[in-house]
Amino acid sequence: MTSDHKNTKTAQTQTSAFLAEFQSQGMLIHAARELRLSGYTQLDAFTPFPIHELDDALGVKPTRLPWLVLGAGLTGGIAALAFQWWTNAVDYPMLISGKPLFSLPANIPVTFEVIILAAALTAFFGMLAINGLPKLANPLFRSPRFTRATTDGFFLSVDAQDEQFDADATKVVLERAGATFVEQITAEPNPQSMPRTILMTTAVLGSLALLPPVFIASARSTTSDKPRLHNFFNMDFQPKFKSQTTTKLFDDGRAMRPRVGGTIPRGSLALSPELELGYEPTSPESDSSETLPNDRNWVADVPMPITTQFMERGRQRFDIHCAVCHGKAGYGNGLASQRALELEQGTWVLPTSLHSPHVIAQPAGQLFNSITNGVRKMPAYGHQIPVEDRWAIVLYMQALQRSQQASLEDVPETIKTKLREMN
Amino acid sequence: MNATTARQIKTSPNLRVTNLGLRPSTIIAMGLAALVIAYLVGAFTSIGVSRFLHAYLLSLCFFLSINLGALFFVVLQHLTRARWSVVIRRIAELLTSTIPILGLLMLPVVVAMVLGDSELYSWNDAELRQTDVLIKGKAAYLNAPFFALRCLFYFATWTAIARFYFTKSVAQDHAADFRPTAQMRKWSGPAMITFAATVNFAAFDWLMSLDPHWFSTIFGIYFFAGAVVAVLAALTLVSALLQRFGYLDRAITIEHYHDLGKLLFGFMFFWAYIAFSQFLLIWYANIPEETVWYLHRQQHGWQYVGILLIAGHFLLPFFGLMSRSARRNQSVLVFWSVFLLAMHWVDLYWLAIPTVSPERVSVGAMELLTLLGIGAIWAGAFAGKLEGTALVPTGDPNLGESLAFHNV
Repeated sequence: MTSDHKNTKTAQTQTSAFLAEFQSQGMLIHAARELRLSGYTQLDAFTPFPIHELDDALGVKPTRLPWLVLGAGLTGGIAALAFQWWTNAVDYPMLISGKPLFSLPANIPVTFEVIILAAALTAFFGMLAINGLPKLANPLFRSPRFTRATTDGFFLSVDAQDEQFDADATKVVLERAGATFVEQITAEPNPQSMPRTILMTTAVLGSLALLPPVFIASARSTTSDKPRLHNFFNMDFQPKFKSQTTTKLFDDGRAMRPRVGGTIPRGSLALSPELELGYEPTSPESDSSETLPNDRNWVADVPMPITTQFMERGRQRFDIHCAVCHGKAGYGNGLASQRALELEQGTWVLPTSLHSPHVIAQPAGQLFNSITNGVRKMPAYGHQIPVEDRWAIVLYMQALQRSQQASLEDVPETIKTKLREMN
Repeated sequence: MNATTARQIKTSPNLRVTNLGLRPSTIIAMGLAALVIAYLVGAFTSIGVSRFLHAYLLSLCFFLSINLGALFFVVLQHLTRARWSVVIRRIAELLTSTIPILGLLMLPVVVAMVLGDSELYSWNDAELRQTDVLIKGKAAYLNAPFFALRCLFYFATWTAIARFYFTKSVAQDHAADFRPTAQMRKWSGPAMITFAATVNFAAFDWLMSLDPHWFSTIFGIYFFAGAVVAVLAALTLVSALLQRFGYLDRAITIEHYHDLGKLLFGFMFFWAYIAFSQFLLIWYANIPEETVWYLHRQQHGWQYVGILLIAGHFLLPFFGLMSRSARRNQSVLVFWSVFLLAMHWVDLYWLAIPTVSPERVSVGAMELLTLLGIGAIWAGAFAGKLEGTALVPTGDPNLGESLAFHNV
């Protein structure tokens, strides 16, 4: 501190500004107008309360901040929308229940929030930046009179950067404009040097801030034999029984409860065996495990009334349950399969193409059975899709197969002639 | 400086509207004639009484929403002890004083309902109340006697609040102390709560129950947001109109218009925010009993009315009113006020008419005649109030500050 003090005395003092004090707000406004008329541009005023005429008297231009905020808001909105579109529809498209990959209403809340965030942050930091803040020190604060700007003083400052500035003439102009006191403010002798403590603190905090990313990076690239941290203990360990576990709650020790005698679960009232199974059982009591698929008496056609509505239902259910793996056209190239091949993990069995000869040859009942009980890696969907919907899917699958095996004979005569005419 | 301006205003001859070209009673009579013609045309042509009633309700709600917005505005100024708005507040107070007239116009609808009419509200159909399981379940609330009772309660409450604030404000003009202002401030909290509850249920009863199967808990706020947009636009227009005829010329300055513009912009956006909040949840949940209401408004041409609302009630005015210089320009502000009032009508049209005309978007004689009819009665009653009442609350303790108001 003492050395700094000595420096100030030895360094050549340089004028930074003139600070003039006025008796009233009227005098201040009058003086500001006078100086502006004399050609001064680098003026600033300091008053205990806002004075509306001052902006005009000082020639303050309208702020540019609204344009910055508008630009930031638009940029934020477009960026948020584009990012959601890219993640949902381009980079990692996920088909969920046959819904469109990108749908505007779902993306509006995030877009709206990002617009607000970008605009608000720009307004806050833009205001600081345009005002030249934060500022470590202002030479004006070294004037003891200047503190009265917050109680009863009206001040006008003329910056030394002003083209009109002249150490003697400016003082005269200010006094003539009605200043009761004019003070010469000297510049900081060495304004570039930052106090050592601030530099050190910044350096230490900056290095500390690097630690979390370092920990994260190391954790991501190494393995550990320690159990992971449980941030949400009651979510990781829920008070519930999982399937095939034991409990002391019941006498028989089983967590899974057998069906209560004399009841039937909702929706499982037995229909005819052909509808339920897709084949005619040899005896009323037998089930699928007793006969081999090839020996079964498959139902040949969909045993339900065939309507456009039923077909449409089949298409919808197929797109929801089947298309993720088998693809919308049934060639076995659904999004899940494409993604699995991309990951190259080696355990993926390609979904069957519904247009391969052995599938086309299957009767409707066998397709139904495959959906109900699953085939090889394909899981069973019987518990998930009601009987009617499974038959609707079979119907739609058969329509898909037919559409890919069509011949010229399938084209109606009227359209044939039309096609010939076009040729 | 403020005191002198205040004194000038007090002695200014511009404070009273003394000569309007047409007598208010003549305007009201013409409005009634238009309504009778509308009814006759509806009843004796293929248009039908049902369409007439829907159009009548639409027009009634349009003007009522302006008055309810005005009531909100008046109470809000006292609740927040706002100082900038003193010079505009009397116009809002005058607007609220026509609420009882609109209550009388609601009377025919209520009487018809009690007599068993189900042309407007299908839930009033005796047979549907037995066969339709949803209407049957709601019958404890949606029935004609209770509906009539609620209507009476709403109008009685609003009239009471409006009269309290109008008479106290006029009393303050000549009062020796500021006791009337103190009383108005004291009751502004309870008045605001009562207003919120009644407007919410009024919107449920009059507009939401047109489709008795559908429900949306945010519907009342949606209606309220539109009403505040409407009153801010109306206040701007009435002020500009009065100034055009030489009234209030020194009282209302561009600073007050600027503030009205800010509020108009804010509540216009609030409307869009609420409209989207209602839509998003229903769209996302995708439950048939909720989506059916939007389904009616997304087909047979109604989707274009919806798009018009998104563009006209939100996007265009959003960018049009965004700039400070636009809000500080009286002509620009008047343009957007007219525009938003028109869009507010389209909004109510989009709420009410799809129930009676789901297959076709059409604006015809019914909408026009009822708008002109109720509009004339509303304007006549308003003009009648304008005569003989000072246009500025001359005794308000904050009048001087409002006159000298300056935006930072």
